[in-house]
Amino acid sequence: MNEPLLEIRDLRVGFQTDHGLLVAVDDVDLTLERGKMLGLVGESGCGKSVTARAIMRLLEQPSGQVLGGEVRLEGRDLLPLPLEAMRKVRGKEIAMIFQEPMTALNPVHRVGRQIVENLLLHEDLTPAAALKRAVELMEWVGIPAPDQRIHDYPHQLSGGMRQRVMIAMALSCNPKILIADEPTTALDVTVQAQILDLIKRLQNETGMAVILITHDLAVVAETCDELAVMYAGRLVERGPVESIFQSPLHPYTKGLMDCLPKLDHPPKTMLPIIPGMVPSLRDMPRGCRFAARCPNAHDDSVLSERQPWRECSGGHGVEACACFASTL
Amino acid sequence: MALLTVEDLKMYYPVRGGVFRRTRAVCKAVDGVGFSLEPGETLGLVGESGCGKSTVAKSVVRLLKPTSGRIVFEGNDITRSGPAELRGFRREMQMVFQDPAESLNPRHTIGQILEEPFVIQKIGTRGERSEWAAELLRRVGLPVDALGRYPFEFSGGQRQRIGIARALALKPRLIVCDEPVSALDVSVQAQVLNLLLELQQQDRLAYLFIAHDLSVVQHMSDRVAVMYLGKIVEIATATELYRNPRHAYTKALLESIPQVDLSRKRERKLLKGDVPSPINPPAGCAFGHRMRHPKWQESVAMDLRLQEVSPGHWVQPCPCCTT
Repeated sequence: MNEPLLEIRDLRVGFQTDHGLLVAVDDVDLTLERGKMLGLVGESGCGKSVTARAIMRLLEQPSGQVLGGEVRLEGRDLLPLPLEAMRKVRGKEIAMIFQEPMTALNPVHRVGRQIVENLLLHEDLTPAAALKRAVELMEWVGIPAPDQRIHDYPHQLSGGMRQRVMIAMALSCNPKILIADEPTTALDVTVQAQILDLIKRLQNETGMAVILITHDLAVVAETCDELAVMYAGRLVERGPVESIFQSPLHPYTKGLMDCLPKLDHPPKTMLPIIPGMVPSLRDMPRGCRFAARCPNAHDDSVLSERQPWRECSGGHGVEACACFASTL
Repeated sequence: MALLTVEDLKMYYPVRGGVFRRTRAVCKAVDGVGFSLEPGETLGLVGESGCGKSTVAKSVVRLLKPTSGRIVFEGNDITRSGPAELRGFRREMQMVFQDPAESLNPRHTIGQILEEPFVIQKIGTRGERSEWAAELLRRVGLPVDALGRYPFEFSGGQRQRIGIARALALKPRLIVCDEPVSALDVSVQAQVLNLLLELQQQDRLAYLFIAHDLSVVQHMSDRVAVMYLGKIVEIATATELYRNPRHAYTKALLESIPQVDLSRKRERKLLKGDVPSPINPPAGCAFGHRMRHPKWQESVAMDLRLQEVSPGHWVQPCPCCTT
């Protein structure tokens, strides 16, 4: 029982494009323990969503391909599974919700039917029993008057309610893992708080593990147990949330935290910024990818050499670039 | 004298339906909004989607013709001005939009985009215009060789810089920023916010700064107005609003913002339900109605115009939401 629920080792994912093979996820290691919530954070293009899709084997075809590594669910590697077996994993063992529930739901079917479809696929239920279960699920995720809402089409529901329907569908077969890919980015802050609270409550009730993908560090600070920060396709820092927020080790993590406007700071003061932009996938340095924007960078040697990973105390690890490794 | 004064602004849209497209209902997108803005000042406007903040923005620069109310810019009433008159005023007031990918013409080069304001206003010779365009790029921190390139060649943050450069072209006194950073990544967001602050200091620009993210609005603004369902429910200086919110909706907004500070992890009172539709909104205090507050009935018959509770701090005086 000591093995982690989900273990990702040396995951490499690439996309075949007009410019050749672009590696979007480069040697990522992640571990998800039972019942924990892991926040996967980074800016657009850092590979966080690609990592999630690779776990589900839902990469865009035919361009996307896993180039190497392992994704072990309770010890079983998912990557070499035949499609038929993988289909049983999706929805049943690992479920996923997306940023924009309007595009993830089928607009021409009533929401009830969409929940029922998933139940009939994975569970041995009669259609009538599945419908009853769908109403219960909708009530469970806090949809008012579920026996009426079940007959609604997705466009008749608000953004928050649609996301609740998505969560009801995702949880319909009691998955062991829920992957939530920017579940609240399209929602208002007040509704975002409701949805995050809901995910947290459902997690406590079912004991499932959650991977929460977001660009918002503050969301992670409030909801997650573990945090993994990605930059330009690589993991740069990983550890318990408290440890990372109290003493971030990588300059990118520090920069991300500092550049958020804070409510209790005096208005109209300059924010500390991370200068420049993320390097293009087409000419990614072999070594430290943050060097061009890094306040600590002192020479170019870190660009050409892959920088080592260092485990610090309490499960807190970081890509220990030579520019700051001496201070660790 | 205030640079911009908005009085009792209303923007109603008819909702039509049926065979004869008869008006079935009225959507009160903005329902009696008033504020003023001094030169060099930033007024933040915050609220959930659908509260009418973008409609206020578009009315102020008169991309929309308000149903009623008054918009006074530099002492001139522009509420009913025609296109020719507005063209003159638009030298002084410009707008920056949310999605820079959609607000820049994909078939124009950056040079053409930045010279267009001068062409429309018939200012300068061809040579002067391209000189000015280069100068604008320099001010927003982009290389001059961008002039010959097209919008798709730039990242989101760079495109927003181009949008800002275009707004600066005619040396306006007021820029209306409608969600200028909500499509950007956090590290790029900080860069663009700093740029806006720098430009304001250099030119004594006034901003009407709209966003749904209260921490961004609070960071950028001298004063903040909180909108709910077409009305301003509270307006105060940014610091005062954060330290001493008086309206229940402002408090709920503040509480729902996730915070990085782990030491202040607090139990949140979650707001229930969604923003109601502005089509046939409830009478009285709309937020009290959403919260099913026992005292909401009392607010129906009341005059809910903002009252000054302390110097510069105005709040809707409803019995259900105001403390």
